[in-house]
Amino acid sequence: MRQGRADEYAEFAAARAGHLYRSACLLTAGDTHLAEDLVQETFGRLYVRWGRVCRVGNPAGYAQTVLTRTFLAHQRRRSSRERATDVFPDLPGAVDGDAPLRLTLMAALARLPAKDRAVIVLRYWEDRSVEQTADVLNVSSAAVRTRCSRALGRLRELLGEDLAEYSRP
Amino acid sequence: MPENEHHDPFEDRLTAALRDAGDGFDTDMAALTAGGQVRGRRAQLLRRTAVIGGAAGIALVGVGGALLVPGGDSSANQRPAAAAARSASASPAPARAFSGDDLLRIFKELLPAGEFSEEAAQGTDSPTLPYARVVYDDSEGKAALGISFNRMEPGSPEARELTRCPAKALVAYDDCTSSRLSDGSLLMLYRGYEYPDRRADTKRWSAELVTAAGQHVSLSEWNAPAEKGAPVSRAEPPLSTGELKEIVTADVWRRVVDAIPRDSTPSPTGAPEAPPQGAAGETIGKTLAALLPDGLTVADRGGQETEYAYLVVDDGKGRSLVQINVQPDMSDVAHQLYGSAETLPDGTLVATRKGPGEKGAEGVVMWTADTMRPDGFRVVISAFNTGAQHEDATRDAPALTVEQMREIALSPKWEELR
Repeated sequence: MRQGRADEYAEFAAARAGHLYRSACLLTAGDTHLAEDLVQETFGRLYVRWGRVCRVGNPAGYAQTVLTRTFLAHQRRRSSRERATDVFPDLPGAVDGDAPLRLTLMAALARLPAKDRAVIVLRYWEDRSVEQTADVLNVSSAAVRTRCSRALGRLRELLGEDLAEYSRP
Repeated sequence: MPENEHHDPFEDRLTAALRDAGDGFDTDMAALTAGGQVRGRRAQLLRRTAVIGGAAGIALVGVGGALLVPGGDSSANQRPAAAAARSASASPAPARAFSGDDLLRIFKELLPAGEFSEEAAQGTDSPTLPYARVVYDDSEGKAALGISFNRMEPGSPEARELTRCPAKALVAYDDCTSSRLSDGSLLMLYRGYEYPDRRADTKRWSAELVTAAGQHVSLSEWNAPAEKGAPVSRAEPPLSTGELKEIVTADVWRRVVDAIPRDSTPSPTGAPEAPPQGAAGETIGKTLAALLPDGLTVADRGGQETEYAYLVVDDGKGRSLVQINVQPDMSDVAHQLYGSAETLPDGTLVATRKGPGEKGAEGVVMWTADTMRPDGFRVVISAFNTGAQHEDATRDAPALTVEQMREIALSPKWEELR
Protein backbone atom coordinates (compact mmCIF):
# COMPACT_ATOMS: atom_id res chain seq x y z
CA MET A 1 0.00 0.00 0.00
CA ARG A 2 1.31 3.47 -0.81
CA GLN A 3 1.75 5.82 2.11
CA GLY A 4 -1.13 8.04 1.02
CA ARG A 5 -3.39 5.04 0.75
CA ALA A 6 -2.17 3.62 4.03
CA ASP A 7 -2.94 6.91 5.77
CA GLU A 8 -6.34 7.02 4.15
CA TYR A 9 -7.03 3.48 5.28
CA ALA A 10 -5.91 4.24 8.84
CA GLU A 11 -8.09 7.32 8.95
CA PHE A 12 -11.05 5.40 7.63
CA ALA A 13 -10.57 2.54 10.09
CA ALA A 14 -10.29 4.91 13.04
CA ALA A 15 -13.40 6.78 11.98
CA ARG A 16 -15.54 3.70 11.32
CA ALA A 17 -14.40 1.25 14.01
CA GLY A 18 -16.98 2.38 16.55
CA HIS A 19 -19.92 2.16 14.23
CA LEU A 20 -18.85 -1.19 12.76
CA TYR A 21 -18.31 -2.63 16.21
CA ARG A 22 -21.75 -1.52 17.36
CA SER A 23 -23.29 -3.01 14.20
CA ALA A 24 -21.42 -6.25 14.86
CA CYS A 25 -22.69 -6.32 18.45
CA LEU A 26 -26.26 -6.08 17.18
CA LEU A 27 -25.68 -8.69 14.47
CA THR A 28 -24.24 -11.10 17.02
CA ALA A 29 -27.00 -10.29 19.51
CA GLY A 30 -24.53 -9.01 22.04
CA ASP A 31 -21.68 -11.52 21.60
CA THR A 32 -18.99 -8.88 21.98
CA HIS A 33 -16.07 -11.26 21.49
CA LEU A 34 -17.42 -12.50 18.21
CA ALA A 35 -18.23 -8.90 17.30
CA GLU A 36 -14.60 -7.90 17.83
CA ASP A 37 -13.46 -10.78 15.68
CA LEU A 38 -15.86 -9.93 12.90
CA VAL A 39 -14.79 -6.28 12.87
CA GLN A 40 -11.12 -7.20 12.74
CA GLU A 41 -11.84 -9.63 9.94
CA THR A 42 -13.73 -6.90 8.12
CA PHE A 43 -10.86 -4.45 8.51
CA GLY A 44 -8.45 -7.13 7.37
CA ARG A 45 -10.39 -7.60 4.17
CA LEU A 46 -10.71 -3.89 3.56
CA TYR A 47 -7.00 -3.51 4.12
CA VAL A 48 -6.16 -6.06 1.46
CA ARG A 49 -8.35 -4.46 -1.16
CA TRP A 50 -8.23 -0.87 -0.02
CA GLY A 51 -7.12 0.47 -3.39
CA ARG A 52 -10.15 -1.08 -5.05
CA VAL A 53 -12.47 -0.09 -2.23
CA CYS A 54 -11.42 3.55 -2.61
CA ARG A 55 -11.95 3.50 -6.34
CA VAL A 56 -15.43 2.07 -6.18
CA GLY A 57 -16.47 4.72 -3.66
CA ASN A 58 -18.50 4.58 -0.46
CA PRO A 59 -16.04 2.59 1.64
CA ALA A 60 -18.30 2.90 4.68
CA GLY A 61 -21.13 1.13 2.88
CA TYR A 62 -18.74 -1.44 1.53
CA ALA A 63 -17.37 -2.09 5.03
CA GLN A 64 -20.88 -2.70 6.32
CA THR A 65 -21.50 -5.13 3.48
CA VAL A 66 -18.30 -7.02 4.22
CA LEU A 67 -19.17 -7.14 7.92
CA THR A 68 -22.65 -8.49 7.25
CA ARG A 69 -21.42 -11.15 4.85
CA THR A 70 -18.59 -12.14 7.15
CA PHE A 71 -21.12 -12.54 9.94
CA LEU A 72 -23.44 -14.65 7.78
CA ALA A 73 -20.57 -16.84 6.56
CA HIS A 74 -19.59 -17.42 10.16
CA GLN A 75 -23.16 -18.30 11.11
CA ARG A 76 -23.48 -20.70 8.19
CA ARG A 77 -20.44 -22.58 9.35
CA ARG A 78 -21.61 -22.57 12.92
CA SER A 79 -25.11 -23.68 12.10
CA SER A 80 -23.82 -27.01 10.90
CA ARG A 81 -22.90 -27.70 14.52
CA GLU A 82 -25.63 -26.08 16.51
CA ARG A 83 -28.99 -24.46 16.22
CA ALA A 84 -28.50 -21.06 17.75
CA THR A 85 -32.16 -20.24 17.98
CA ASP A 86 -32.89 -23.29 20.08
CA VAL A 87 -30.29 -22.83 22.75
CA PHE A 88 -30.77 -19.31 23.98
CA PRO A 89 -32.14 -18.96 27.48
CA ASP A 90 -35.44 -17.35 28.28
CA LEU A 91 -35.68 -13.62 28.16
CA PRO A 92 -34.42 -11.99 31.31
CA GLY A 93 -37.28 -11.33 33.68
CA ALA A 94 -36.58 -8.67 36.24
CA VAL A 95 -33.49 -7.10 34.83
CA ASP A 96 -31.23 -5.18 37.08
CA GLY A 97 -28.49 -2.67 36.36
CA ASP A 98 -28.42 0.07 33.77
CA ALA A 99 -29.02 -1.92 30.66
CA PRO A 100 -32.36 -3.70 30.73
CA LEU A 101 -33.11 -2.52 27.23
CA ARG A 102 -29.91 -3.86 25.80
CA LEU A 103 -30.20 -7.25 27.47
CA THR A 104 -33.80 -7.75 26.53
CA LEU A 105 -33.32 -6.56 23.00
CA MET A 106 -30.22 -8.74 22.55
CA ALA A 107 -32.07 -11.77 23.89
CA ALA A 108 -34.87 -11.10 21.42
CA LEU A 109 -32.47 -10.60 18.51
CA ALA A 110 -30.72 -13.82 19.45
CA ARG A 111 -33.95 -15.66 18.82
CA LEU A 112 -34.08 -14.56 15.22
CA PRO A 113 -32.37 -16.57 12.48
CA ALA A 114 -29.08 -14.91 11.53
CA LYS A 115 -30.30 -13.65 8.20
CA ASP A 116 -33.43 -12.14 9.71
CA ARG A 117 -31.27 -10.43 12.29
CA ALA A 118 -29.10 -9.06 9.50
CA VAL A 119 -32.21 -7.69 7.79
CA ILE A 120 -33.32 -5.96 11.00
CA VAL A 121 -29.88 -4.46 11.62
CA LEU A 122 -29.52 -3.24 8.05
CA ARG A 123 -33.02 -1.81 7.84
CA TYR A 124 -33.44 -0.25 11.29
CA TRP A 125 -29.89 0.37 12.51
CA GLU A 126 -28.20 1.11 9.21
CA ASP A 127 -31.26 2.79 7.66
CA ARG A 128 -30.84 0.83 4.45
CA SER A 129 -33.69 0.60 2.00
CA VAL A 130 -35.21 -2.76 1.11
CA GLU A 131 -33.30 -2.72 -2.17
CA GLN A 132 -29.98 -1.88 -0.54
CA THR A 133 -30.55 -4.59 2.04
CA ALA A 134 -31.29 -7.05 -0.75
CA ASP A 135 -27.99 -6.09 -2.42
CA VAL A 136 -25.98 -6.68 0.71
CA LEU A 137 -27.58 -10.06 1.35
CA ASN A 138 -27.65 -11.18 -2.27
CA VAL A 139 -31.33 -11.90 -2.15
CA SER A 140 -34.35 -10.39 -3.85
CA SER A 141 -36.23 -7.38 -2.48
CA ALA A 142 -39.24 -9.62 -2.01
CA ALA A 143 -37.19 -11.94 0.18
CA VAL A 144 -36.06 -8.99 2.28
CA ARG A 145 -39.67 -7.85 2.74
CA THR A 146 -40.74 -11.33 3.77
CA ARG A 147 -37.91 -11.72 6.24
CA CYS A 148 -38.43 -8.25 7.57
CA SER A 149 -42.11 -8.65 8.31
CA ARG A 150 -41.52 -12.07 9.83
CA ALA A 151 -38.73 -10.70 12.04
CA LEU A 152 -40.78 -7.69 13.07
CA GLY A 153 -43.64 -9.97 14.01
CA ARG A 154 -41.38 -12.12 16.10
CA LEU A 155 -39.80 -9.11 17.84
CA ARG A 156 -43.22 -7.67 18.52
CA GLU A 157 -44.18 -10.95 20.12
CA LEU A 158 -41.00 -11.08 22.20
CA LEU A 159 -40.75 -7.45 23.19
CA GLY A 160 -44.35 -6.31 23.30
CA GLU A 161 -46.04 -3.89 20.98
CA ASP A 162 -45.05 -0.64 22.64
CA LEU A 163 -41.45 -1.41 23.60
CA ALA A 164 -42.04 1.40 26.07
CA GLU A 165 -40.72 -0.30 29.14
CA TYR A 166 -37.37 -0.77 27.40
CA SER A 167 -37.01 2.77 26.16
CA ARG A 168 -35.11 5.41 27.98
CA PRO A 169 -37.26 7.95 29.77
CA MET B 1 -35.83 5.57 9.33
CA PRO B 2 -36.31 3.34 6.32
CA GLU B 3 -39.00 4.36 3.93
CA ASN B 4 -42.13 2.36 4.35
CA GLU B 5 -45.36 2.53 2.51
CA HIS B 6 -47.37 1.41 5.55
CA HIS B 7 -45.81 3.26 8.40
CA ASP B 8 -45.69 1.19 11.54
CA PRO B 9 -45.00 2.88 14.90
CA PHE B 10 -43.36 -0.31 16.14
CA GLU B 11 -40.63 0.24 13.57
CA ASP B 12 -39.94 3.71 14.98
CA ARG B 13 -39.70 2.30 18.45
CA LEU B 14 -37.47 -0.53 17.28
CA THR B 15 -35.16 1.95 15.55
CA ALA B 16 -34.90 3.98 18.74
CA ALA B 17 -34.34 0.86 20.84
CA LEU B 18 -31.58 -0.37 18.50
CA ARG B 19 -29.92 3.06 18.70
CA ASP B 20 -30.00 3.05 22.47
CA ALA B 21 -28.75 -0.50 22.74
CA GLY B 22 -26.14 -0.19 20.00
CA ASP B 23 -24.71 3.02 21.36
CA GLY B 24 -24.11 1.28 24.66
CA PHE B 25 -21.47 -1.04 23.22
CA ASP B 26 -17.91 0.11 23.53
CA THR B 27 -14.49 -1.47 23.29
CA ASP B 28 -10.86 -0.60 22.58
CA MET B 29 -11.25 0.69 19.02
CA ALA B 30 -7.53 1.21 18.52
CA ALA B 31 -6.95 -2.47 19.26
CA LEU B 32 -9.69 -3.42 16.81
CA THR B 33 -8.23 -1.40 13.97
CA ALA B 34 -4.71 -2.62 14.73
CA GLY B 35 -5.94 -6.21 14.80
CA GLY B 36 -7.68 -5.68 11.49
CA GLN B 37 -4.53 -4.38 9.92
CA VAL B 38 -2.56 -7.37 11.13
CA ARG B 39 -5.09 -9.72 9.61
CA GLY B 40 -5.08 -7.78 6.38
CA ARG B 41 -1.34 -7.81 6.27
CA ARG B 42 -1.28 -11.52 6.92
CA ALA B 43 -3.79 -12.19 4.18
CA GLN B 44 -1.75 -9.99 1.90
CA LEU B 45 1.40 -11.94 2.62
CA LEU B 46 -0.36 -15.15 1.81
CA ARG B 47 -1.78 -13.72 -1.37
CA ARG B 48 1.41 -11.87 -2.19
CA THR B 49 1.23 -12.39 -5.89
CA ALA B 50 -2.52 -12.04 -5.99
CA VAL B 51 -2.71 -8.42 -4.91
CA ILE B 52 -0.76 -7.10 -7.81
CA GLY B 53 -2.65 -4.42 -9.61
CA GLY B 54 -5.48 -4.62 -7.15
CA ALA B 55 -7.27 -6.70 -9.71
CA ALA B 56 -7.13 -9.74 -7.50
CA GLY B 57 -10.28 -11.62 -6.63
CA ILE B 58 -12.56 -9.73 -4.32
CA ALA B 59 -15.17 -12.44 -4.04
CA LEU B 60 -16.46 -12.29 -0.51
CA VAL B 61 -15.98 -15.52 1.32
CA GLY B 62 -16.04 -16.94 4.81
CA VAL B 63 -14.00 -15.93 7.82
CA GLY B 64 -10.27 -16.52 7.82
CA GLY B 65 -9.47 -19.81 6.25
CA ALA B 66 -11.80 -19.50 3.36
CA LEU B 67 -10.32 -16.19 2.39
CA LEU B 68 -6.81 -17.49 2.39
CA VAL B 69 -7.33 -20.96 1.12
CA PRO B 70 -9.41 -21.27 -1.99
CA GLY B 71 -11.10 -24.61 -2.36
CA GLY B 72 -10.75 -27.10 -5.19
CA ASP B 73 -8.73 -26.00 -8.14
CA SER B 74 -8.69 -26.96 -11.76
CA SER B 75 -5.04 -27.93 -11.57
CA ALA B 76 -5.34 -29.91 -8.35
CA ASN B 77 -4.65 -33.06 -10.29
CA GLN B 78 -1.03 -31.97 -10.48
CA ARG B 79 -0.76 -32.75 -6.79
CA PRO B 80 2.18 -35.05 -6.10
CA ALA B 81 0.97 -38.55 -5.36
CA ALA B 82 3.02 -38.88 -2.18
CA ALA B 83 1.49 -35.78 -0.66
CA ALA B 84 -1.98 -36.86 -1.69
CA ALA B 85 -1.55 -40.23 -0.06
CA ARG B 86 -0.31 -38.66 3.12
CA SER B 87 -3.23 -36.31 3.26
CA ALA B 88 -5.69 -39.12 2.82
CA SER B 89 -4.20 -40.98 5.75
CA ALA B 90 -3.95 -37.93 7.99
CA SER B 91 -7.03 -38.43 10.08
CA PRO B 92 -8.42 -35.37 11.84
CA ALA B 93 -7.70 -36.67 15.33
CA PRO B 94 -8.93 -34.33 18.05
CA ALA B 95 -6.04 -32.11 19.02
CA ARG B 96 -5.37 -30.11 22.14
CA ALA B 97 -6.30 -26.46 21.73
CA PHE B 98 -3.64 -23.79 22.11
CA SER B 99 -4.61 -20.51 23.72
CA GLY B 100 -3.14 -17.21 22.59
CA ASP B 101 -0.97 -17.26 25.71
CA ASP B 102 0.29 -20.74 24.83
CA LEU B 103 1.31 -19.51 21.40
CA LEU B 104 3.11 -16.50 22.83
CA ARG B 105 4.94 -18.62 25.40
CA ILE B 106 6.08 -21.16 22.81
CA PHE B 107 7.06 -18.47 20.34
CA LYS B 108 9.16 -16.63 22.92
CA GLU B 109 10.84 -19.85 24.03
CA LEU B 110 11.97 -20.50 20.49
CA LEU B 111 13.45 -17.03 20.07
CA PRO B 112 16.94 -16.13 21.24
CA ALA B 113 17.07 -14.26 24.56
CA GLY B 114 15.77 -10.72 24.42
CA GLU B 115 13.15 -8.31 25.68
CA PHE B 116 9.53 -8.70 24.65
CA SER B 117 6.77 -6.12 24.48
CA GLU B 118 3.47 -5.44 22.70
CA GLU B 119 2.46 -9.07 22.74
CA ALA B 120 -0.72 -10.14 21.02
CA ALA B 121 -2.07 -13.51 20.05
CA GLN B 122 -5.13 -15.48 19.16
CA GLY B 123 -5.51 -19.15 20.02
CA THR B 124 -6.73 -22.08 17.99
CA ASP B 125 -10.26 -21.94 19.38
CA SER B 126 -10.92 -18.50 17.93
CA PRO B 127 -13.30 -18.28 14.97
CA THR B 128 -10.46 -16.88 12.90
CA LEU B 129 -6.95 -18.13 12.37
CA PRO B 130 -4.41 -18.30 15.20
CA TYR B 131 -1.36 -16.06 15.36
CA ALA B 132 1.13 -14.59 17.80
CA ARG B 133 3.10 -11.42 17.47
CA VAL B 134 5.59 -9.61 19.66
CA VAL B 135 8.01 -6.75 19.56
CA TYR B 136 11.39 -8.29 20.25
CA ASP B 137 14.61 -6.57 21.23
CA ASP B 138 17.87 -8.48 21.25
CA SER B 139 19.46 -5.23 22.56
CA GLU B 140 20.14 -3.98 19.05
CA GLY B 141 16.76 -2.39 18.49
CA LYS B 142 13.08 -3.26 18.57
CA ALA B 143 11.69 -5.48 15.84
CA ALA B 144 8.19 -6.74 15.12
CA LEU B 145 7.91 -10.52 14.78
CA GLY B 146 4.80 -12.43 13.85
CA ILE B 147 3.83 -16.03 13.29
CA SER B 148 0.54 -17.27 11.94
CA PHE B 149 -1.01 -20.62 11.17
CA ASN B 150 -3.35 -22.12 8.67
CA ARG B 151 -4.27 -25.41 7.12
CA MET B 152 -4.36 -26.11 3.42
CA GLU B 153 -4.69 -28.89 0.94
CA PRO B 154 -1.30 -30.64 0.88
CA GLY B 155 0.46 -30.39 -2.45
CA SER B 156 -2.21 -28.04 -3.73
CA PRO B 157 -1.52 -25.16 -6.09
CA GLU B 158 -1.99 -22.80 -3.13
CA ALA B 159 0.68 -24.61 -1.13
CA ARG B 160 3.13 -24.37 -4.01
CA GLU B 161 2.28 -20.77 -4.66
CA LEU B 162 2.92 -19.77 -1.05
CA THR B 163 6.33 -21.33 -1.04
CA ARG B 164 7.47 -20.29 -4.50
CA CYS B 165 9.67 -17.20 -4.77
CA PRO B 166 7.77 -14.35 -6.41
CA ALA B 167 8.69 -13.26 -9.91
CA LYS B 168 11.14 -10.37 -9.94
CA ALA B 169 8.93 -8.67 -12.52
CA LEU B 170 6.30 -8.33 -9.84
CA VAL B 171 8.06 -7.80 -6.51
CA ALA B 172 11.45 -6.34 -5.65
CA TYR B 173 13.40 -8.29 -3.04
CA ASP B 174 16.98 -9.09 -2.04
CA ASP B 175 16.96 -12.83 -2.08
CA CYS B 176 14.67 -15.78 -1.86
CA THR B 177 15.10 -19.52 -1.81
CA SER B 178 12.46 -22.17 -2.14
CA SER B 179 13.21 -25.76 -1.26
CA ARG B 180 11.71 -29.09 -0.35
CA LEU B 181 12.85 -30.43 3.00
CA SER B 182 13.61 -34.09 3.70
CA ASP B 183 10.21 -34.59 5.37
CA GLY B 184 8.43 -33.39 2.22
CA SER B 185 7.68 -29.88 3.51
CA LEU B 186 8.03 -26.91 1.19
CA LEU B 187 9.94 -23.95 2.61
CA MET B 188 10.44 -20.47 1.24
CA LEU B 189 12.95 -18.14 2.90
CA TYR B 190 12.48 -14.59 1.71
CA ARG B 191 14.33 -11.35 2.34
CA GLY B 192 12.54 -8.35 0.94
CA TYR B 193 10.81 -5.16 1.85
CA GLU B 194 7.61 -4.10 3.47
CA TYR B 195 7.04 -1.64 0.65
CA PRO B 196 7.95 -2.98 -2.78
CA ASP B 197 8.76 0.54 -3.98
CA ARG B 198 11.27 0.90 -1.12
CA ARG B 199 9.91 4.30 -0.13
CA ALA B 200 10.83 3.34 3.43
CA ASP B 201 13.69 1.09 4.44
CA THR B 202 11.45 -1.27 6.32
CA LYS B 203 12.66 -4.78 5.57
CA ARG B 204 10.45 -7.81 5.84
CA TRP B 205 12.06 -11.19 6.07
CA SER B 206 9.92 -14.25 6.22
CA ALA B 207 9.73 -18.01 6.21
CA GLU B 208 6.74 -19.83 4.74
CA LEU B 209 6.42 -23.51 5.53
CA VAL B 210 3.81 -25.88 4.16
CA THR B 211 4.24 -29.44 5.38
CA ALA B 212 3.33 -32.56 3.47
CA ALA B 213 0.24 -32.78 5.67
CA GLY B 214 -0.85 -29.26 4.68
CA GLN B 215 0.16 -27.45 7.87
CA HIS B 216 1.05 -23.89 6.97
CA VAL B 217 3.26 -21.81 9.27
CA SER B 218 4.16 -18.26 8.32
CA LEU B 219 6.86 -16.36 10.21
CA SER B 220 7.80 -12.74 9.46
CA GLU B 221 10.14 -10.22 11.00
CA TRP B 222 10.79 -6.54 10.39
CA ASN B 223 13.60 -4.14 11.24
CA ALA B 224 11.07 -1.84 12.87
CA PRO B 225 8.77 -2.21 15.85
CA ALA B 226 5.74 -2.34 13.56
CA GLU B 227 5.09 -3.60 10.06
CA LYS B 228 4.08 -0.19 8.86
CA GLY B 229 4.12 3.35 10.13
CA ALA B 230 7.08 2.94 12.49
CA PRO B 231 10.58 4.25 11.75
CA VAL B 232 13.28 1.69 11.10
CA SER B 233 14.92 0.84 14.40
CA ARG B 234 17.84 -1.27 13.20
CA ALA B 235 19.68 -2.08 9.98
CA GLU B 236 18.22 -5.55 9.58
CA PRO B 237 15.58 -7.75 11.20
CA PRO B 238 17.01 -9.70 14.13
CA LEU B 239 16.76 -13.31 12.96
CA SER B 240 18.95 -14.76 10.22
CA THR B 241 17.32 -16.91 7.57
CA GLY B 242 18.85 -19.90 9.38
CA GLU B 243 17.06 -18.91 12.57
CA LEU B 244 13.84 -18.24 10.67
CA LYS B 245 14.04 -21.75 9.28
CA GLU B 246 14.72 -23.30 12.65
CA ILE B 247 11.76 -21.56 14.29
CA VAL B 248 9.27 -22.06 11.49
CA THR B 249 10.03 -25.78 11.26
CA ALA B 250 9.63 -26.44 15.01
CA ASP B 251 7.40 -29.49 15.42
CA VAL B 252 5.12 -27.82 17.93
CA TRP B 253 3.64 -25.56 15.25
CA ARG B 254 2.30 -28.55 13.37
CA ARG B 255 0.28 -29.48 16.44
CA VAL B 256 -1.01 -25.90 16.55
CA VAL B 257 -2.28 -26.20 12.98
CA ASP B 258 -3.83 -29.57 13.79
CA ALA B 259 -5.73 -27.90 16.63
CA ILE B 260 -7.45 -25.44 14.32
CA PRO B 261 -11.04 -26.68 14.14
CA ARG B 262 -11.65 -28.52 10.88
CA ASP B 263 -14.72 -26.59 9.96
CA SER B 264 -12.92 -23.25 10.02
CA THR B 265 -11.16 -24.13 6.81
CA PRO B 266 -12.89 -25.25 3.67
CA SER B 267 -12.84 -28.91 2.86
CA PRO B 268 -10.62 -29.98 -0.03
CA THR B 269 -13.66 -30.41 -2.18
CA GLY B 270 -14.71 -26.83 -1.52
CA ALA B 271 -16.87 -25.59 1.31
CA PRO B 272 -19.99 -23.61 0.47
CA GLU B 273 -18.14 -20.36 1.19
CA ALA B 274 -15.11 -21.31 -0.88
CA PRO B 275 -14.55 -19.16 -3.92
CA PRO B 276 -15.64 -20.66 -7.19
CA GLN B 277 -13.10 -22.42 -9.32
CA GLY B 278 -11.14 -20.25 -11.68
CA ALA B 279 -9.25 -21.00 -14.85
CA ALA B 280 -5.57 -21.96 -14.63
CA GLY B 281 -3.19 -19.02 -14.82
CA GLU B 282 -1.16 -20.76 -17.48
CA THR B 283 -4.18 -21.13 -19.76
CA ILE B 284 -5.11 -17.51 -19.16
CA GLY B 285 -1.60 -16.41 -20.15
CA LYS B 286 -1.69 -18.50 -23.32
CA THR B 287 -5.08 -17.18 -24.34
CA LEU B 288 -3.99 -13.60 -23.70
CA ALA B 289 -0.81 -14.10 -25.75
CA ALA B 290 -2.86 -15.48 -28.63
CA LEU B 291 -5.16 -12.45 -28.59
CA LEU B 292 -2.38 -9.84 -28.66
CA PRO B 293 -2.25 -7.59 -31.73
CA ASP B 294 0.48 -8.23 -34.29
CA GLY B 295 3.86 -6.68 -33.70
CA LEU B 296 4.12 -7.48 -30.01
CA THR B 297 6.57 -10.03 -28.70
CA VAL B 298 6.26 -11.69 -25.32
CA ALA B 299 9.46 -11.13 -23.32
CA ASP B 300 8.38 -12.74 -20.07
CA ARG B 301 5.34 -14.36 -18.57
CA GLY B 302 4.01 -15.77 -15.35
CA GLY B 303 1.07 -15.70 -13.01
CA GLN B 304 -0.79 -17.57 -10.36
CA GLU B 305 -2.16 -21.04 -10.36
CA THR B 306 -5.60 -19.70 -10.98
CA GLU B 307 -7.40 -16.61 -12.23
CA TYR B 308 -4.33 -14.44 -12.84
CA ALA B 309 -1.55 -14.19 -15.39
CA TYR B 310 0.83 -11.58 -16.67
CA LEU B 311 2.87 -11.06 -19.81
CA VAL B 312 5.72 -8.64 -20.35
CA VAL B 313 5.36 -7.56 -23.98
CA ASP B 314 7.57 -5.49 -26.24
CA ASP B 315 6.47 -3.60 -29.32
CA GLY B 316 10.02 -2.48 -30.14
CA LYS B 317 9.73 0.57 -27.91
CA GLY B 318 10.42 -1.17 -24.63
CA ARG B 319 8.86 -3.57 -22.19
CA SER B 320 5.30 -3.21 -20.99
CA LEU B 321 3.68 -5.31 -18.27
CA VAL B 322 0.21 -6.61 -19.10
CA GLN B 323 -1.74 -8.38 -16.41
CA ILE B 324 -5.06 -10.12 -16.51
CA ASN B 325 -7.58 -11.61 -14.12
CA VAL B 326 -10.26 -14.02 -15.28
CA GLN B 327 -12.72 -14.58 -12.46
CA PRO B 328 -16.01 -16.44 -12.34
CA ASP B 329 -19.02 -15.38 -10.25
CA MET B 330 -18.11 -11.80 -9.47
CA SER B 331 -21.64 -10.45 -9.88
CA ASP B 332 -21.97 -9.71 -6.16
CA VAL B 333 -19.56 -6.81 -6.54
CA ALA B 334 -20.67 -5.69 -9.99
CA HIS B 335 -22.38 -2.56 -8.75
CA GLN B 336 -19.19 -1.54 -6.98
CA LEU B 337 -16.88 -2.19 -9.89
CA TYR B 338 -18.99 -0.94 -12.73
CA GLY B 339 -20.98 1.89 -11.22
CA SER B 340 -20.97 4.07 -14.30
CA ALA B 341 -19.95 1.46 -16.82
CA GLU B 342 -21.12 0.99 -20.36
CA THR B 343 -23.59 -1.86 -20.83
CA LEU B 344 -23.40 -3.79 -24.09
CA PRO B 345 -26.56 -5.12 -25.77
CA ASP B 346 -25.94 -8.61 -24.34
CA GLY B 347 -25.72 -7.19 -20.80
CA THR B 348 -21.91 -7.28 -20.53
CA LEU B 349 -20.55 -4.41 -18.43
CA VAL B 350 -17.44 -2.59 -19.64
CA ALA B 351 -15.44 -0.01 -17.69
CA THR B 352 -12.14 1.49 -18.78
CA ARG B 353 -9.74 3.51 -16.69
CA LYS B 354 -6.46 5.35 -17.08
CA GLY B 355 -4.71 6.02 -13.82
CA PRO B 356 -1.41 6.01 -12.01
CA GLY B 357 0.32 2.70 -11.22
CA GLU B 358 -0.30 1.30 -7.77
CA LYS B 359 3.21 0.66 -6.57
CA GLY B 360 4.39 4.24 -6.40
CA ALA B 361 7.17 3.96 -8.99
CA GLU B 362 8.03 7.13 -10.89
CA GLY B 363 5.81 8.01 -13.83
CA VAL B 364 4.05 4.66 -14.03
CA VAL B 365 0.57 4.60 -15.53
CA MET B 366 -1.92 1.77 -15.46
CA TRP B 367 -4.54 1.48 -18.16
CA THR B 368 -7.38 -0.94 -17.59
CA ALA B 369 -10.28 -2.51 -19.43
CA ASP B 370 -12.63 -4.26 -17.03
CA THR B 371 -15.49 -6.41 -18.31
CA MET B 372 -18.14 -8.58 -16.74
CA ARG B 373 -20.51 -10.93 -18.58
CA PRO B 374 -24.11 -10.93 -17.31
CA ASP B 375 -23.47 -14.07 -15.22
CA GLY B 376 -20.60 -12.48 -13.32
CA PHE B 377 -17.70 -13.83 -15.40
CA ARG B 378 -15.09 -11.09 -15.24
CA VAL B 379 -12.12 -10.41 -17.51
CA VAL B 380 -9.98 -7.44 -16.50
CA ILE B 381 -6.77 -6.45 -18.27
CA SER B 382 -4.29 -3.77 -17.21
CA ALA B 383 -1.18 -2.56 -19.00
CA PHE B 384 1.72 -0.49 -17.68
CA ASN B 385 4.41 1.69 -19.27
CA THR B 386 7.10 -0.34 -17.53
CA GLY B 387 8.12 -3.98 -17.51
CA ALA B 388 7.81 -4.31 -13.72
CA GLN B 389 5.33 -2.18 -11.90
CA HIS B 390 7.56 -1.36 -8.96
CA GLU B 391 10.13 0.04 -11.40
CA ASP B 392 10.01 3.52 -12.91
CA ALA B 393 8.34 4.14 -16.25
CA THR B 394 10.47 3.20 -19.26
CA ARG B 395 8.14 4.47 -21.96
CA ASP B 396 5.40 7.06 -22.39
CA ALA B 397 2.45 4.71 -22.67
CA PRO B 398 1.69 1.01 -22.26
CA ALA B 399 2.17 -1.16 -25.36
CA LEU B 400 -1.60 -1.76 -25.57
CA THR B 401 -4.25 0.92 -25.92
CA VAL B 402 -7.36 0.82 -23.77
CA GLU B 403 -9.33 0.08 -26.93
CA GLN B 404 -7.13 -2.92 -27.74
CA MET B 405 -7.49 -4.25 -24.21
CA ARG B 406 -11.23 -3.78 -24.37
CA GLU B 407 -11.34 -5.83 -27.53
CA ILE B 408 -9.18 -8.57 -26.03
CA ALA B 409 -11.26 -8.70 -22.83
CA LEU B 410 -14.47 -9.04 -24.83
CA SER B 411 -13.13 -11.82 -27.05
CA PRO B 412 -15.35 -14.93 -27.18
CA LYS B 413 -12.14 -16.93 -26.62
CA TRP B 414 -12.51 -16.42 -22.87
CA GLU B 415 -15.71 -18.46 -22.93
CA GLU B 416 -13.51 -21.52 -23.36
CA LEU B 417 -11.95 -20.90 -19.94
CA ARG B 418 -15.14 -21.10 -17.98
